[in-house]
Amino acid sequence: MARKRKKPGPGGGVTTVVVMRLYIAGAAPNSVKAITNLRGICRQYLKNGYELEIIDVCEHPRRALADGVLVTPSLAKISPGPTSNVIGNLSDTSSVLAALGLAAGAIE
Amino acid sequence: MTPETLLAVRRPSDLQAEAAFKDWLRQLVKGTAALRAFEAGEIDAVMDAESGSAILLPEARAALQGSSRLLLSALDALTGEVCVIDAAGTVVMTNRAWRAFVAARAGAGLGVREGANFFSACADVGARERVHADAVAAGLRDVLAGGRQLFRCDYLYHSSDRDCALALSIARIVQDGAVYAVVTRESISERERVGAVRSWGRADESRVAAAGRELTPNRLLAALPAREYERLLSGLEPVRLNYGEVLYEPGKPMRHVYFPGDCVVSLLTVVDGHRALEVGLVGPEGMVGSPLALGITASSVRALVQGTGSAVRMKSPRFLQEARRSPALQRAVLRFTDALMLQATQTAACNRFHMVEARLARWLLMTRERAGSGVLHLTQEFLADMLGVRRVSVTSAAGALQRRKLIRYQRGIITIIDQQGLEAAACSCYRRVQARGLETAM
Repeated sequence: MARKRKKPGPGGGVTTVVVMRLYIAGAAPNSVKAITNLRGICRQYLKNGYELEIIDVCEHPRRALADGVLVTPSLAKISPGPTSNVIGNLSDTSSVLAALGLAAGAIE
Repeated sequence: MTPETLLAVRRPSDLQAEAAFKDWLRQLVKGTAALRAFEAGEIDAVMDAESGSAILLPEARAALQGSSRLLLSALDALTGEVCVIDAAGTVVMTNRAWRAFVAARAGAGLGVREGANFFSACADVGARERVHADAVAAGLRDVLAGGRQLFRCDYLYHSSDRDCALALSIARIVQDGAVYAVVTRESISERERVGAVRSWGRADESRVAAAGRELTPNRLLAALPAREYERLLSGLEPVRLNYGEVLYEPGKPMRHVYFPGDCVVSLLTVVDGHRALEVGLVGPEGMVGSPLALGITASSVRALVQGTGSAVRMKSPRFLQEARRSPALQRAVLRFTDALMLQATQTAACNRFHMVEARLARWLLMTRERAGSGVLHLTQEFLADMLGVRRVSVTSAAGALQRRKLIRYQRGIITIIDQQGLEAAACSCYRRVQARGLETAM
């Protein structure tokens, strides 16, 4: 089962939408942490300007392999380019922001 | 490795679980991010392309970590330094002692850090260590390739302006098809160390194996307190003494003192300028040149090597100086001198009162004891000189012992075939000298 959430920006038009995929393994502890951490980051830094797809590799292993994912949790930023990856439970906010192309200071 | 082997490495007794697991992960993941996350405990699953499935890690990891924690604490509790090397030569695991040694010696003495390659470390040593490092690398390669299960050698290196020696052993282990080598490293104790370092200059592969084990076989030296022995070492020079070599002539100065290792030296009294009679026999239990300790610089006897072998020697002035400084050395030399005197007086009496056959038996036993071998290379002329008899007497005595099946005598080679029988055939002088010799060695 792939859970999909789409939250377009309220004004539309000018806001860049960050498209991400988070690969998780069921309800494993790091996967749960990664979801919580990523939601927190999105709420704080991206407001509604993001699109997040959460893929459970236990249910969709071939999809993960096709996407080149080797370990989970793993966050992939699809757009805007360049693409990037963060591996782990995403507790290090600054490395997540860096991977998403969001310097911590430039957001607020 | 496949996921099946991942499950297999979950056995709690598995020694390489963590290492094998990391190895597997390393093969799977390019880059360090995943490995770092794994080490931080942030990975939940690993994708396996072969089976097209995700492998959940939490349980596997808990089991792995449980077993490797136990293993690591066990390894850490060992005082010896241990590391585990994978098939490529990468050090995948080290214990606390190993890490401490690496830190203290800044990598000298093949102190390879976790994650580094052992072969590269062997290739990076300086010229002095080259021959040793090459031997270790060859041994490790052999062990990993399955050529042998265990490789041991000593390793000499230079650290903090000191020559150091250590004993390395490399053992092969196979886990789920993956080969590893377990390296244990032990500092060679002070006395052994000095012995090993002495042979540094002439290091070659066979010597590497022998170095460090090359404790002095001379019992007089070995009985000295370690500190005194060590002080003597700088003045000791290893030599090979060959059969027939004359170390001292009567009336001539004794330039060196000799401590036999596995050679035997006869002390002969020369009569009328040509005929000689043996008055003493010295092997690894004693020394040649003991009168120097009494301040006598000229030899009263001829010292003739009658069993080829190794020895160490020291220049006489240095020996005199050491004997003055060291009461322990003085005591050892005097005790030996006393034993030698008993031997001489007993021999004198023996030569006068005992039959040639019994004397020959005594002499063969004494030589065997000192040479450490029951096969002796001796001509009849030589034996005649030793016993102070004519050659024909030796022939008949040797013939008698041979008929009693105590020895075999063939073309200059005497083989003792019945030690106990020969002891029974020997005169009482043998037991007297032997008993005193044992007392001296105490």
